[in-house]
Amino acid sequence: MTFHRTALLSLFLASAALPALAQTRAETLRHVTGASINTLDPNMPGSTREAFGLSLLSYDRLVSFGRKQLDGKWVFDLDTIRGELAERFDVSPDGLKITFHLRKDAKFHDGSPVTAEDVKWSMDRAVTARSLAAGQLLTGSITKADQFRIIDTHTVELTLPQPDKLALPNLATVYPVIFNAKLAKSKATAEDPWAQEWLKANTAGSGAYIIESFKAGETTILRRNEDWKRGPGNSQAHFKRIITQTIPEASTRANLVERGDADIVIDLQAVDAADLEKKGKLKVISTPQYNAITFVSFNNQIPPFDKVGVRRAIAAALPYEDMFKAALFERGKRLYGATWADGKAPTGDTFPIVQPLKTNLAEAKRLLTEAGLPDGFSTTFSFNVGQAGTAEPMAALLKESLEKIGIKVEIQKLPDAQMSTLINEKKVPFFTEGIVAWLPSMDYFYRNFYIGPIRWNYSSLNDPKLTELAQAARFEGDKAKYAAYGLQLNTMHYDLMPQIPLWQPSQDAVMAPGIEGYTYQFHRQIDFRDLSRK
Amino acid sequence: MKLGATATRAGRRFISSLPALFGVVVFTFLLMRVLPGDPAVFFASGPQAGPEEIAMIRKQMGLDKPVPQQLLLYLGDLSQGNLGRSLTTGQPVLADLRNRLPASLELTLTALLIALLTAVPLGIIAALRPGSAVDHLVRFICALGVCVPTFVSGLLLIYVFYYLLGLAPDPTGRIDIFLSQPPRVTGFLLIDFALAGDWEGWSAAARQLVLPALTMALFVVAPLARMTRASMLASLGSDFIRTAKSLGLSGRKIIVTYALRNAILPVLTIAGIVFSTMLGANVLVEKVFSWPGVASYALDALLSSDYAPVQGFVLLMAAIFVFVNLTVDVLYGIADPRVSVE
Repeated sequence: MTFHRTALLSLFLASAALPALAQTRAETLRHVTGASINTLDPNMPGSTREAFGLSLLSYDRLVSFGRKQLDGKWVFDLDTIRGELAERFDVSPDGLKITFHLRKDAKFHDGSPVTAEDVKWSMDRAVTARSLAAGQLLTGSITKADQFRIIDTHTVELTLPQPDKLALPNLATVYPVIFNAKLAKSKATAEDPWAQEWLKANTAGSGAYIIESFKAGETTILRRNEDWKRGPGNSQAHFKRIITQTIPEASTRANLVERGDADIVIDLQAVDAADLEKKGKLKVISTPQYNAITFVSFNNQIPPFDKVGVRRAIAAALPYEDMFKAALFERGKRLYGATWADGKAPTGDTFPIVQPLKTNLAEAKRLLTEAGLPDGFSTTFSFNVGQAGTAEPMAALLKESLEKIGIKVEIQKLPDAQMSTLINEKKVPFFTEGIVAWLPSMDYFYRNFYIGPIRWNYSSLNDPKLTELAQAARFEGDKAKYAAYGLQLNTMHYDLMPQIPLWQPSQDAVMAPGIEGYTYQFHRQIDFRDLSRK
Repeated sequence: MKLGATATRAGRRFISSLPALFGVVVFTFLLMRVLPGDPAVFFASGPQAGPEEIAMIRKQMGLDKPVPQQLLLYLGDLSQGNLGRSLTTGQPVLADLRNRLPASLELTLTALLIALLTAVPLGIIAALRPGSAVDHLVRFICALGVCVPTFVSGLLLIYVFYYLLGLAPDPTGRIDIFLSQPPRVTGFLLIDFALAGDWEGWSAAARQLVLPALTMALFVVAPLARMTRASMLASLGSDFIRTAKSLGLSGRKIIVTYALRNAILPVLTIAGIVFSTMLGANVLVEKVFSWPGVASYALDALLSSDYAPVQGFVLLMAAIFVFVNLTVDVLYGIADPRVSVE
């Protein structure tokens, strides 16, 4: 008797619970990814990209990027900066002072209002604490705490040593997020004045989402912050719940989204994305990562790659189209195959630009002979395990093609940490790597990837003229003059051929058909605040 | 009396394994530092990624000190139960392992149970009729199980049972993401759900467990079945079986009580080894099924030269290996009272 009653009761409960559950599913976005989140504070050294993505949901910044259409797809726009916690901002006519007027309705997750004190503390932390922020912000001339001044409870002023185009965009990157200063300070200790330990595992933000549960390397569950109304037209975020799950196997992620169990994924293998696009059941938005480049790179200091002739010979011998098909299934933007009328770059506004590179083995042989190596040479070609999916087929084709002009290549596949160490020590002669710039302006690329003994200067280029031009371009306010610098730099890049730009791989966002609003973001993560379900 | 002797023996064995554990700790510590790949460089990903940032991470990881001093500090931390912090997950290694070990153990134990329940009967049947069609069939199944790598069989099972038929739940870890976890008591979901009396949750967790456990079991059925067959053959051919037969004992009694009990020792040994291997080497299964276990955790850490988790993992595996060997020794005594391993 009791059994029957219980069974009936549970049956009743189940049927009553069903509609509620179904509704929750529609209001929930389930996102799957191969990587994992390792900190709740994006400033922690070693933060993963996914951690960056999360921090832009749990925290607000003063300003954020607008968006624009590029070849019919929405991408972030470096040139439109809009207020986030700042209701508006004014730039003084001389460009030296930026005044931020904070929103008066903004509250932290604990209910306390966001004030100028919080902004000041967060910015002081960004430039002072030992974290990733300082290194980023100095690219926008923001280096010292005293550059930030509280005017009143809702106004903060930033003073710059010189007008800098990248000052505002830098404040829209993931590091200078605004912390609840009172809360964070209460968790600070004498050894840890900026509460870095506590903020690794806790949040003190005002963002659109509140972290409900966080299991590093497994799942993160976010709940909508009902008070957050900083979307377009003062709207809330659309989804009530967001679940991010780490699924290491790429083909499983593809299965999940295809069967409708997951709503969105952005890190599929190119072959799976192509397959799902062909089947046509799901929405596939494939955006070339216009702030990223994949290179075949040489260390310009290690012979024989110190000879420009050798570098150009290899550039003429690469089987570009075959590599593009085998590695990316043509999912990306080609950076080869242009025609430059007089050997000069056609534009200087942007970098990278499509290069006049074509496969021409006879020319390659001639260049190699001219460089004094008619019989070729032997070398190694390295890539890291993490990139094996695209780099392996590419390396095989490269080896085959270079053999035809007498260059014998041994392929070397290295664990990721070993590869970064060797690159940092400048010990890899010939390899493939990629770069990403959060702030993809022409001078930013040249300054961060072609100058100095840093890790990102893959080619170890040390060219005084290029350095001088890039530094001059940084503070050039006049658009025409800026483009003139760019024209020289882009031409020099082709003439010197410090490394060979191949392509810009696409970010394939595969999602359920009803998902709207996807935008390719600078940090190459999904900003879930952009999304809604029809 | 007998129990006391077994306990003494187990205790002595445990103490004699301590130097080995210590050796493992020191060896792994040094090995990680000899391997090429500098974790500080790997984790320095800022736009400058210059010498200062790398030095900062190195200091944070304690890598700026000389190696002998690092080793002493590490041993000091170990004695206080502190295994360090993982840069890959940002959590203390001890907490990570504590969260993930039950997942691995639950999977491995289930797989071993499935494997034993399949392999032992298969081995016995094959031994009873050597050379027959049944024997060949068993050999074929074993060969197939060993030949197909776990990630292939895993992906195949997912493809058929999840993707095509929709029978299995999505292969995304230990429990459906939309269900809530049971209150944590042991960390074993099946036990925790049972303790909480949540049978719906229990069956959901069991359903998640089936495919990965099958995948792992497939791979280890072969050594277990082959070993059972070989030792059953030897046992069935011995004098005491002939005597038993001539006395007219029932077939069941001869096979199960006399032959199997005598044949089970080598199977136990193999099962112990198989268990330890499965636990450490099931990284592919864990990856394919997004199982939040210790092996995939260690692999991720190893690829990024994250020292603390790898060291913690190796120490844990060594300790489990010691424990499993002890258990097998004790089981020996129970299976065959004549045996006393010193």
